[in-house]
Amino acid sequence: MLDRTQIGNIDWVLIGLLILNSAIGVAVIYSSSQHLPGDYHLKQMFWIIVSLIALFVFLSIDYNSLVTYSFPFYLICLVILVGILFFGVFISGAKSWIRLPFFQIQPSEICKITVILLLAQVFSGFKKAYLTWGKAVFSGAVIGLPIVLVGLQPDLGTALSYVPIFLGVLILAGLNKKIVIVFLILAVLLGIAGWSFLFKDYQKDRLTTLVFPSKDPLGAGYQIMQSKIAVGSGGFLGKGYMKGSQSQLRFLPARHTDFIFSVIGEEFGFVGVVLVLLCYFLLILRLFQSVFKARDRTGVYIVFAVVMMLACQFLINVMMTIGLFPIAGIPLPFLSYGGSSLLTNYLAVSLVVNVRMRRFVNV
Amino acid sequence: MNHHKIYEDLSLIAKRARKTLIVFFMLFIFLILYFWKIQVLDHKQYWEKSENNRIREVIIPPQRGLIRARNNTILARNIGSYKVSIIRENCEDFEDSLQNIAVLLNLEIEELRERIDKYRSLPLFRPIIIKDNLTLQEVSRIEARRLEMPELLLQSEPKREYPYGTFASHVLGYLQEISPTELQTEVYRQRRPGDLVGKTGIEKQYEDRLLGTEGELLEVVNSLGRVMGKVSEVKPIPGKTVWLTLDVELQQIAEEILEGREGAVIVMDPKSGGVLAWASFPNFDPNKFINRFTPEEWIDLRDNPNFPLQNRAIRGLYPPGSVFKLTMGLAALQSRTITERTSFFCSGVVQIYRQPRHCWYEPGHGRLTLVSAIKNSCNIFFYQTGRLMEIDTIAHYGKMLGLGVKTGIDIPGESEGLLPTREWKKTARKEPWYPGDTISVAIGQGPMIVTPLQVAVHTSVIANRGRMVDPYLVESRRNGLEGPVENRSPSSNNYVSIDPNHFEVVIEGSWMAVNDGGTAAAARVPGFDVCGKTGSTQTIGREAAERLAEQNIEVRKTHSWFTGFAPKENPRVVVTILIEYGGGGGETAAPLSKKLFERFKEIYVR
Repeated sequence: MLDRTQIGNIDWVLIGLLILNSAIGVAVIYSSSQHLPGDYHLKQMFWIIVSLIALFVFLSIDYNSLVTYSFPFYLICLVILVGILFFGVFISGAKSWIRLPFFQIQPSEICKITVILLLAQVFSGFKKAYLTWGKAVFSGAVIGLPIVLVGLQPDLGTALSYVPIFLGVLILAGLNKKIVIVFLILAVLLGIAGWSFLFKDYQKDRLTTLVFPSKDPLGAGYQIMQSKIAVGSGGFLGKGYMKGSQSQLRFLPARHTDFIFSVIGEEFGFVGVVLVLLCYFLLILRLFQSVFKARDRTGVYIVFAVVMMLACQFLINVMMTIGLFPIAGIPLPFLSYGGSSLLTNYLAVSLVVNVRMRRFVNV
Repeated sequence: MNHHKIYEDLSLIAKRARKTLIVFFMLFIFLILYFWKIQVLDHKQYWEKSENNRIREVIIPPQRGLIRARNNTILARNIGSYKVSIIRENCEDFEDSLQNIAVLLNLEIEELRERIDKYRSLPLFRPIIIKDNLTLQEVSRIEARRLEMPELLLQSEPKREYPYGTFASHVLGYLQEISPTELQTEVYRQRRPGDLVGKTGIEKQYEDRLLGTEGELLEVVNSLGRVMGKVSEVKPIPGKTVWLTLDVELQQIAEEILEGREGAVIVMDPKSGGVLAWASFPNFDPNKFINRFTPEEWIDLRDNPNFPLQNRAIRGLYPPGSVFKLTMGLAALQSRTITERTSFFCSGVVQIYRQPRHCWYEPGHGRLTLVSAIKNSCNIFFYQTGRLMEIDTIAHYGKMLGLGVKTGIDIPGESEGLLPTREWKKTARKEPWYPGDTISVAIGQGPMIVTPLQVAVHTSVIANRGRMVDPYLVESRRNGLEGPVENRSPSSNNYVSIDPNHFEVVIEGSWMAVNDGGTAAAARVPGFDVCGKTGSTQTIGREAAERLAEQNIEVRKTHSWFTGFAPKENPRVVVTILIEYGGGGGETAAPLSKKLFERFKEIYVR
């Protein structure tokens, strides 16, 4: 299983950055939820500890073994996603949760890990210079099934967060123009179908609001406006930790989850925003380094897919708080409150550490 | 060189990854620049907005649609009223606020806390309604303290009012606050906590049409909660009017008839199925509990042993008694068990399956055919007929005429009732069907239960000589509705599979029951050719009654039925009356029906 060289090769810098970002999250959650009952910061700390333990436990298994068994894992996840459509619990309008005795979990998050592993397996032996039709269609199906199932819940945000994984795989395999065009057409068709049949009115509202903000100053536009006011009023230095800002942010639902970055912007100002962006960028940079350290193709695919997933979620969430992206219900990885997404993201990072620590082939 | 043998060449995909990293880097730089613009360059603008102004979203409830009777009389409307909500984020200190509000509005503090606790999960800026239907005094007291108590939000809202109180209450239904479980369901996805929704009757059935669309107002408020201006406003769209088929005059008589009794009255147009009057007693005043809180009146009504909230016309289940003899006659003729000329002898008592069976008329009716058996409601004739018939055949024709099946009336909560069959007894009672059971069914007793509305519908089918009819309260064409209601028009041409000539026989019997000295003679209206049938159903078995009588316990009387239509040719109106424990159908229900037939004739027949 593990030998001493491997333990020596664990990427402690990465884990350090991970904990740093999580700690920032706890501090901001504490500030933004201080008037809400429920001790969210304590729950978040509990989840960080659980996720860290999971990260290390997960490391003990060689990623190549994980990849070997990825298909059955993937199937189990699909079964659960289908089951949840019938037996799940409604929380804020989507049927995406399984209720356990002490907490709820969101299988749609965990499922991303199995998708990453399965796609890595699909491309592990792929040595052509450009993507082929067979691989494109197959990997499209692998990612498309969970997207449709999660979209039906309907949890548009989580469904959307699968897309960067797919995008990452396509980029690595080598995009050729034909495939890009076909996929774009498919995406548009799917979008139209979704618009007509799948999307709920509130989701349509959010999209139209982004494109035509003046059309709906109420509803979804209201959230964006409040978020921008919060961020903008923070100024260069911010209003100070836990200070004065609340009156604005109380207008903002989900401020300890999806809109946590608005709190950072308001309380710590531009300086705080840049620092948090920097911390985050360092984390992503460090993750990226493992792409170049991986010993095999499987490893590269895993690491790159994880980076794409985390980086895109981060960018989308931040852009959402300043009105550059529709309010999609995507949390800020590692910072937003939420156990399932935290655990998933930690497991994703665990995969990257796994690839890096096993970079030397034992000959 | 050795290197290449161990590690595969990954330089191509590494190059692609590197390019992506550069894209990410540029995006981060772009984001930093954008934040610079918002937080540093435009800071002043946002700072002002955050400091001086706050934008509050106010939901403007729409006016609920009116409910009108056939002649446009308004049965449900809206009047102005005030409600007050708490905005928790504006509280200086939550506990102090609770104290002050409790004193100001004369509420129990625990009640108030419970109320707010119920909506704990709402965002803090969302108002929670703490009292509605405010008095003018309360409104002025809140208004006077607006500056001190920015956490209170005073809003006007249209309040439902039923101008005639209990009038047609079982048809109209009532409103109450949406329950947390209802909020979870798909139907009420668009609704908010604190909304009032229709819980029964037309208010529930036509909720979507009556509801309207809520408006939204974005207003700028200063830190004291004072409104400084309007950002935008979307006006609410009032709900649509619902026109009922009810005729207020007939409805009023139907309710007068039932005053002081328990029971139900249905008056309907047999041609179209439109219900002209629908009364169920005891009734209730829906004005009393359009309320978000649980007033004592509501608890009283809910727990009243006479079940005033029970809509007896569709939820009351009663054995049809002798009314069922109409169905028996049709079933026996159509199944060729008897003919119009078949006769049986009634001596007042007959031995069937070694049991004495009595006619209600002890001296006996002598020899009679179906027509006179219906006229005199002779039990022995129908015992003898029932002896020759299969229970499943009887049930088949009963259901065909509309008994023991839902009528599909357009208000919720209808009961199905039951016409027993062999299959039913085997599954429900785990016993085979005995021939003796059929004998009881033949006079409308036994394990057979129907609703008054079903009896009215079956009477309509008989009046129509077999043309089926779907009852309704909201006429589709007048209300611009589509769908199944559209079929409920005189043009519907589905007939039951019973020979029209058989109907003439049964109708002749029921005409004689009213006009030739039969059991329903009290329903006679000169010049209007009423046809009808009475029923008096035992509410407990004979043995139980005797046992109770021995113990000197008062035996409650029988349920009293009348159902009939007029005129005989080209019928215009069906009247069905059930009085719980009203005694004999001929003594109680039939004379009451006369008032309705008379009034109908006055209004509609020239």
